[in-house]
Parts: sequence; structure tokens; C-alpha cells
Amino acid sequence: MPSTPLFEIPPEVDLDTLAALLPEPLHLGEGGDRRLTRTWLDSFDWRLYRAGGLLEEVQEPAGRLLRWRDFKSGDLLAWEEVPGRPQRAADIPAGPVAEEVAPALGVRVLLPQVEVQVEQRLVRVLDDEEKTVLRLELEQARYLAPHGHAKGELAPRLRLVPVKGYQKELERVARRFAGDWPEPRATQMEEALTALGRAPGDYSSKLDIALDPGMRADEAAKAIHLYLLRILEANLEGTRADLDPEFLHDLRVAIRRTRSALTQIKGVFPPTVVENFKGRFAWVQQVTGPVRDLDVYLLDLPGYREGLPDLLRPGLAPLETFLARHHAEEQAVMARKLASPHFRKLLKDWRAFLEAPVPDVPDPEAPKAALPVAEVASARIWRMYRRVLREGRAISDDSPAEALHELRKSCKKLRYLMEFFLALYAAEEVRPLVKQVKVLLDDLGAFQDLEVQARSLSGFAGRMVEEKTADTTTLLSLGALIGGLWHRQAKARRRFQRTFADFDSAANGKRFRHLFRA
Amino acid sequence: MKILAAYNIKGGVGKTATAVNLAREAVRAGRRTLIWDLDPQGAATFYFRIKPRVKGGGKALVRGRLELDAAVKGTDFEGLDLLPADFSYRKFDRLLGKAPKPGRQLMRLMRPLAEDYDLLILDCAPNISLVSENVFRAADALLVPVIPTTLSARTLVQLQDFLARQGGVGHLRLWPFFSMVDRRKRMHRELVTELAAAHPDFLDARIPYAAEVERMGERRAPVAEFAPGSVAAAAYGALWREIEGRLGV
Repeated sequence: MPSTPLFEIPPEVDLDTLAALLPEPLHLGEGGDRRLTRTWLDSFDWRLYRAGGLLEEVQEPAGRLLRWRDFKSGDLLAWEEVPGRPQRAADIPAGPVAEEVAPALGVRVLLPQVEVQVEQRLVRVLDDEEKTVLRLELEQARYLAPHGHAKGELAPRLRLVPVKGYQKELERVARRFAGDWPEPRATQMEEALTALGRAPGDYSSKLDIALDPGMRADEAAKAIHLYLLRILEANLEGTRADLDPEFLHDLRVAIRRTRSALTQIKGVFPPTVVENFKGRFAWVQQVTGPVRDLDVYLLDLPGYREGLPDLLRPGLAPLETFLARHHAEEQAVMARKLASPHFRKLLKDWRAFLEAPVPDVPDPEAPKAALPVAEVASARIWRMYRRVLREGRAISDDSPAEALHELRKSCKKLRYLMEFFLALYAAEEVRPLVKQVKVLLDDLGAFQDLEVQARSLSGFAGRMVEEKTADTTTLLSLGALIGGLWHRQAKARRRFQRTFADFDSAANGKRFRHLFRA
Repeated sequence: MKILAAYNIKGGVGKTATAVNLAREAVRAGRRTLIWDLDPQGAATFYFRIKPRVKGGGKALVRGRLELDAAVKGTDFEGLDLLPADFSYRKFDRLLGKAPKPGRQLMRLMRPLAEDYDLLILDCAPNISLVSENVFRAADALLVPVIPTTLSARTLVQLQDFLARQGGVGHLRLWPFFSMVDRRKRMHRELVTELAAAHPDFLDARIPYAAEVERMGERRAPVAEFAPGSVAAAAYGALWREIEGRLGV
């Protein structure tokens, strides 16, 4: 028996019904009422849920509590009183809740996922000595969407709260009630989300696109693009409001994937369509670039600081101020552009194209539109795989950096193609290959990003001198940072040959051939 | 976990009333509190409407067949639990005498409770016995209700003498306070002044002789629950705040 048995009860059950059900000599004592609001907080992409936890905020007139529970069992693992609703992990007072939440949440903000307003009737169950042996909580809850106006009633619940040392009484009453009422099938949070047509974990930036191998290629491409468009739109509000840097990051990845899908899934849409949207999405990528760059440096700043000798650490303070100021300026510019009619029209046109049915007779300039998607996908992935091999094998220790940059671009195309069409292949076969491509990409990415960072920092130094915000310590610390970055870049370069050799193994080649050449 | 023992060699001085009312105050102040009713008469158990029975009695506890925690009962007040009296406690001395290290048995039994409670209040039987020796070793402080009468004052001196001769109780603080004070009696007024001067450790709060305290038996609840505005309820509140300050909790 659960430690606090819970029942879902019909709405007409009242205290008289409960009193009539109690076994002799137990009877109801006096009661009271309590109102509270429960709000379940998580990041936009459900990081706490994915870490197996549930963060519940309880607001009562007496104060505000945060409870950290195990998602599956609902067990209370830690709690903390808080003065207000925390926005970020750092807002939670140091303690066991913060220790659990901070590593899972990272840089993301906490958002209310769903809320219930609860009215509880509390009533004591007494024995023949008029002693409290059990407490009953009769709970009526209404759910509310955090934004918007959706709301409604949830099924009432009855919780039995034991009094220590009166287990027998608890069991007797629980058995009696269990004869009439079921246990709830889901947690209250899940019930409330379900009522709103949602589910825990319903947003993820990972691709999980349902495709069927026999589908027409143009139809499949539209499904892929619609999936990406949904991710893009889901992140718009958070990006404009600058809630946390991940909204913009996910938005930009969705756009990059969209552009990649447009050009890499070849021959499924008329070239005019491809050119049109490719150009318009490039504009979005361009207007969101500066803020993302500044985000990256702001996020890396603590790491930069740690990499410096104590003497030079204070020199980074002016850099932080510089970055924060430019970030605020660029954010305002970007937010305006993302709210512009120009951008809204792009999304509208794009959606209209994607939602329009595919033509029965494909455009002559889209020769692959009516082919089965599996055929088109495998051919594209195989070609791109061959290209990655060709480019990678040509790279020696003397090759220019551009050769690695080109290889990185091809690798990214390969990765995206494999991820778009994941559903067409056996998961246990295709996932390890995607993983392999990612490892290679990480190395290539480190190589290029470190170089870009070093160049940017050097550019910042120049601008700070112009703006007269950099003193000697700041310039020295930037110099030291740039030196460190070059050093790490050189290491990434040395690592490359080995990583690529792993990727270019005979066994790997066999797996790619088996999956995509057949 | 801090351990307080309501204790006096003399009976009928308001010991149980002290334990019960202080426990209620402690819980109101947010301390997770447990009362252990060590008096076989079970008055504290009765006040909380709990049946005076421990499965297997004191024997099961001392022999380790029953964890102390398993015998604990929740009271009507959330955060306040009680370990009931058992009639077998009258033979507790003999049981403890047979155990190894007989003077430290209660300490051993109470140790596992430290995680669950901030405060443990022992309501002790009025005598000097092996049980009370155990209590002296385990408790941080003895709360000694003293009625301002010559006889009651004498027992305080007896207790001080006894403790001075005991080993292993150097840590134990003795906190007497006046109980059942009747302002209308000249002797009470005089003795209060005299004793307080002679014993600087006396707590300032004084519990009056009051009908409300006597009505606890009929109402079966702490005074502040049924007579929240009464002088007696206020006196227990003041007593708790003073103790809280001295305990440094």
C-alpha cells in the first residue's frame, strides 16, 4: 500500500459520503479548508523531466515552497522555501533543491508548464478516544494554461494522510475506499497537461520525424520542413524576449537545417521555390548571427576566466561589460527584425507552400518528387558519405585550414541528412553511425570555432581600444586568452587525423554501404 | 536533537503539564518534537488521547526487539509525536539493571531518533532510580518544576546534592522554575523571592496555579488549545521562549 493512498473520486462525494463509509468506531472530526496553487516548472525543453525530476511550486497564503520530486514515483526528495518564483537555477537558495536543479537546468530559464488551483477540505478521522488517527484531504483542482485562457476542472481526488503509529486505521480506511474508487492513473501534472492537449517532454530540439519509406519524396520533404518550422516557431517568443540563449540557438539550428534540407534533398521541389526560400532564410540566419556570437562569448566567459592566471582575471570585467552592452543593442535590433512584417510573411509563405498538397503530376524541374523517399534519401546520404571520405582523405598535416572547414560543411550536411531520414532505417543500425559523424564534427567544430573565437576576441580588443574601455590588464588578459585558444586549436588539429581514421575504418564503410547503398 | 527532561523527585508539582504544554509550544515554533512518557502512570499519554501501550512493553525496547521509532504515535498536532507510557515501565529499573552498561541504555535507545526530531522531551516518574540516572546522562537539561513551599524547595537541594555525587552528568544543566504559584499566598510570594535569589539558574517564567491547567485532564489537550488567552497559556509560552534561548536552538 502506498504511504499516502490516493483515490480519484466522483464529483458528488462529500463529507457525508465519507463519514458513512468509515468503519466503526472511526468517525469524522472537525475540518478546515485550504487553498493553494501548484505550478510545475521546467525549462522549455523539459530538462528537469529528462533528468527524471519534477519541480513543483506550491503557493499558499503562508508562503511559497519548491518541491523536488522523483518524476516516476512522485516521491518527495527535497524542498525549499522561496521568497518568489525562481527564474534560473541561481535564484533557488543554496540547498538540496538547488543542487538537483542547477546541473540539469544549465543556462535555461524555468517556465511554468502548467498550473492547478486547488481547494482542499481537510478533515480528521477520530477513534473512540476522539484521537486523530488519520487525515483526509479532499481536493478539487482546476488546471490553467500558463499563457492563454485554457482552463477546466480535473477529477476530484482524496488523499489519506497517515498519522504515525496508526497504520492499521489507515489500511482499514484505504481498503474501504478502494472498494468504491480507483487510484488516479496519472499524476496531477500529467492530467492537467493532458487536458491541455500536451504531455511532459512534448518539446525537444532533437529530430524525430515520422516518415514511411514508401512515401513520395516531395511529401516526405514537406513533412521534414514542417517539423523544422514548428521548432522554429516554438522558439520565436523566447528568442524575442531573450529568456535564455537556448531559444535563439534552437531557432538558428532549425533555420540551418531548413536551408540544408532545401539544398540537400535535391530534385523534390521546383528550383524557383528552393532559391526563393533559401535566400529568405539566409537573411534570418544573418540577422540572428550577431546575438548568437555574443551569447557564445558571454557563456564562455566563466571558462575563459578560469583559464587565466589570477593576475589577469580582473581584466575580463571590461570585456563582460562590453559584451553585455553590445548584446543588449543587437538583441533589440534582432527582436525588431523577428517581429517585422517581412519575417512574418516569410513564415506565412513557407507554411502555405508546405501545407499545400503535392501536385499529382510533379514539376518537370523536380524529377525526384514522386520517387519513394527511401530511394532518394539513401542515394543522397551515400553520395554525401563518399564526399566526406574523399575530402577527409585528401587532408594532410600540411593542408590549409580551409580544407578542414570544407570537410566540416560536408560532414554537417551528412549528419543532417541522416537525422532527417532517421525513421527510414533501423534505429540500432543508423544511430551509431550518426554518433560517429557527430564525433568527427565535434573535432572539426572545435578546430574552427577556436579559430573564430580567437579572431573575434582580437576584434573585440580593437573595438574596446577605440571605445576606450580596455586598459592594459584587459588587453593582456585578451592576449593570454587568444594564445590559449590557438594552443587548443593546434591540439584539435593534431587530433583530427586519428578521429578521421576511426571514421574511415573498413567496418564503418561496410555499415554505410549496407544501409545506404542497398 | 536536544533532550529536555521534566523532572522532580517530588510528585504532583506540574511536571507532566510542563512537558505537554512545552511540547505544544516547541511544535508551534517549528521544532519537530517527541515526548517520551516514561511515567508508568501515563498522564502525558492520556492528555494526548493515546492508548498507554507499547507492544512488548519496556522489555521489547531494552532487548532491542522493538525500535523506539516503531512505538511512536503521532498526536493531533502535526510535528508532535509521543512515545506512549506502558504499565510495564514500573519494572523498567529491573530490565535496565540486567542490560550491559545499565546507566546508558536510554541514551542508546534514543540515538536513532536524532534524525527525525529537533527536540525530545522526557516526562519522568517522580523518583530517583536507574531510569532517572539514565535520564540524567542522556538529557541536556533538567526542567525542575518547584512549588514555592518549604518541602518542594528541599527536594531541589536534595536533587542538587544527588547530581553533585553522580558521575557522567557534568554536562547536565539544572533549570528550576516556579510552578503552581499562588500569588494570593504570602508564603509563595516570599519563597519565590528567596529561592530565586539563592538559585540564579531559576528561569524567570512562572507557571501560575490555574484552573485551566487542571482542566487539561478533562479537555485532554494542552492549555493553549482550549484556553489560548489564559494566563497559564501565556506562562507556558514565556517558559518555552526562555528555554529556547538557553538551548540556543
